Amino acid sequence: MALAVSIKGLSKRFGHTQALNNVSFEVPSHSIFGLLGPNGAGKTTLFSLTANFLKADSGAVEVLGIDTRYISRLQGRLSILPQDAQFQRNVPILDQPVFFRRLAGRTRPQAQDEVLHTLDLVGLQSVARRRVGSLSHGMVKRLGVAQAFLGRPEVILLDEPTAGLDPANARQVRDLIRQLQERTTIMVSSHNLGEIQELCDHVAILDHGRLVLAGSVDAITRSNREHNLGLSRPLLDAELQRLLAIRGVRSIERTSLSAGKLNHDARSSEYLAKLDLSAEGIDQDTVIADLLKAILDMGITPRKLTEGHSLESQFLEVTGRPPTSASG
Amino acid sequence: MNLKTLNARHIWLISLHWSRHAVRSGAGLVYLMIALVFGLSVAHAVIMPVEQLMSVQKEQTGHTDREAIHNTIIAVGRPIAQFVLGLKSMTEVSEQAAAQEQPPNVGDPRMATPEAADPARFDPWTDFLLEDRPALLSAIFLILAFGMPFAISFLAFNQVTGDIQSHGLRYLLLRTERGNIYFGRFLGTAAFSTAVMAVIIVTITLYLGLRVRIYPAAALAGWAVHGFLALAILMLPYIAVCSILSASVDSPFLSLVLAKLTIGGVLLLAVLGGLKWESMRLIKYALPWGWQNHLLHPEPSHWLGAGLACLLYTGVFLMLGYARFETRDL
Repeated sequence: MALAVSIKGLSKRFGHTQALNNVSFEVPSHSIFGLLGPNGAGKTTLFSLTANFLKADSGAVEVLGIDTRYISRLQGRLSILPQDAQFQRNVPILDQPVFFRRLAGRTRPQAQDEVLHTLDLVGLQSVARRRVGSLSHGMVKRLGVAQAFLGRPEVILLDEPTAGLDPANARQVRDLIRQLQERTTIMVSSHNLGEIQELCDHVAILDHGRLVLAGSVDAITRSNREHNLGLSRPLLDAELQRLLAIRGVRSIERTSLSAGKLNHDARSSEYLAKLDLSAEGIDQDTVIADLLKAILDMGITPRKLTEGHSLESQFLEVTGRPPTSASG
Repeated sequence: MNLKTLNARHIWLISLHWSRHAVRSGAGLVYLMIALVFGLSVAHAVIMPVEQLMSVQKEQTGHTDREAIHNTIIAVGRPIAQFVLGLKSMTEVSEQAAAQEQPPNVGDPRMATPEAADPARFDPWTDFLLEDRPALLSAIFLILAFGMPFAISFLAFNQVTGDIQSHGLRYLLLRTERGNIYFGRFLGTAAFSTAVMAVIIVTITLYLGLRVRIYPAAALAGWAVHGFLALAILMLPYIAVCSILSASVDSPFLSLVLAKLTIGGVLLLAVLGGLKWESMRLIKYALPWGWQNHLLHPEPSHWLGAGLACLLYTGVFLMLGYARFETRDL
């Protein structure tokens, strides 16, 4: 497996706060890698160390096989959307990325063409002559995303790329990320576990500066793959037992959607099926097919089958709290 | 710290971008106003009495005696210039002024020399500034050399500190070396400072040449060019001191306060401390305060030496700031 990023024993302390503590993991090439953790877990610090904005107390980061202490060797190959970094407010939007491309050796016309094309991708071309100070928070975020996509970087670090964006723009950014995957490795940090699960093939979970879990999403959620089932009527106890007997089915709980969260509800015909795919020879498609076949055999019509928040459950299990809890 | 990684094209682009956008809109505007107000106020304070004298003379005699005006300027300016240049103490200047008002003391052996009628003839530097060069311009240059280091911190305090605080530098750090950013912004600041200095000196020189008209145009232009170069070079070490502070702290306000304290504090310590302990006067050499008037010295070895000293200070300060900027968290 070719590696895009290799993090080895990385530690960083700010005063009395241990922001990162001996963190090690690897990011495969051409993957979309999610970095998860509650606020203050050390995600932004890890990105900042990877981009050499901060100097590590110990450990090392290699990007494309190059130690990031020699970051200049990665010019044009690594880009980042930093969190909370501000553009110069008084400068027209177009001028800043054009300046960045000129540093990469482009002439002004070449740079303008490239930048206008990229601004178009994030829906900012029509406001390219306005000053950054006149943009909304969401537009500034999209400008940040655009500058990270400029050129042909081989590795892109995106720190909370969809935070503050409306659903349509967040979707647009996610689509852009997917399009880039063929030629680029992307590391994304987010609080939105659904987004990370939808987007990423690999994840690492940080908590209090420590790495608590890392691997492919498939492997991490294998022992607890969640699916939401909607049926034409509630299951009888005997029917439920029959479904639980299917190999790979771990549990089936009756739920209802209320206030955006799944809750237990005895009258509901909505269920949360948890699959355990960790045993040898079991794959998700076979288990789901068996499950649906059994339901149909009972004379029940499946009305909904959607992927659940397997990653969120795993996150809660390893950190003991939801992703946006705690501060710092 | 690796200077080999510096990229001249990047430094040039960063310098241009910085001059055009950051300096022009923020600290640059403030500095432009402060520098123009200070520079033109100094010129006004120096030139206005001469214009009034010319006006009175014209009313009384119907014409302007430029020779008499010139001699009056020299007589008034000499003790002040000698004090400013550090050639005489305030006590000596007062005594000299009193002596000029009394008849010559024939018992004094120095009075036997040709310089007897003018005791200050012992000082070629003052003569050069007041007699060989346009005295009004010399006076303005001396005051600007004293005052502009205080003003320059309004321009130079925020070379990188604001972008460190806002993390704005992070958009640049993967696109160029830290050194290119640091030196590029220094150059942009220095270029802006030089342009403002040029505006001030051209304005004053044109006014002296076209309105006051007591000096030949060639003499005015030549001395204006020398003064401009001297002041432009003099600003460099002070900008470089601000570069160190700007690269060392995360708050623009703190950077400004520290710049003021450093530039003013060195001079204050040297002057006040020097009253008590002679050796404290040496503190002024921590910054170019001790050398800078030599930029206007008649001897080429002096003004060249002072210019080189300014460049040396600039180099040392820049390297100290670069070492800090290169290794710190951004």
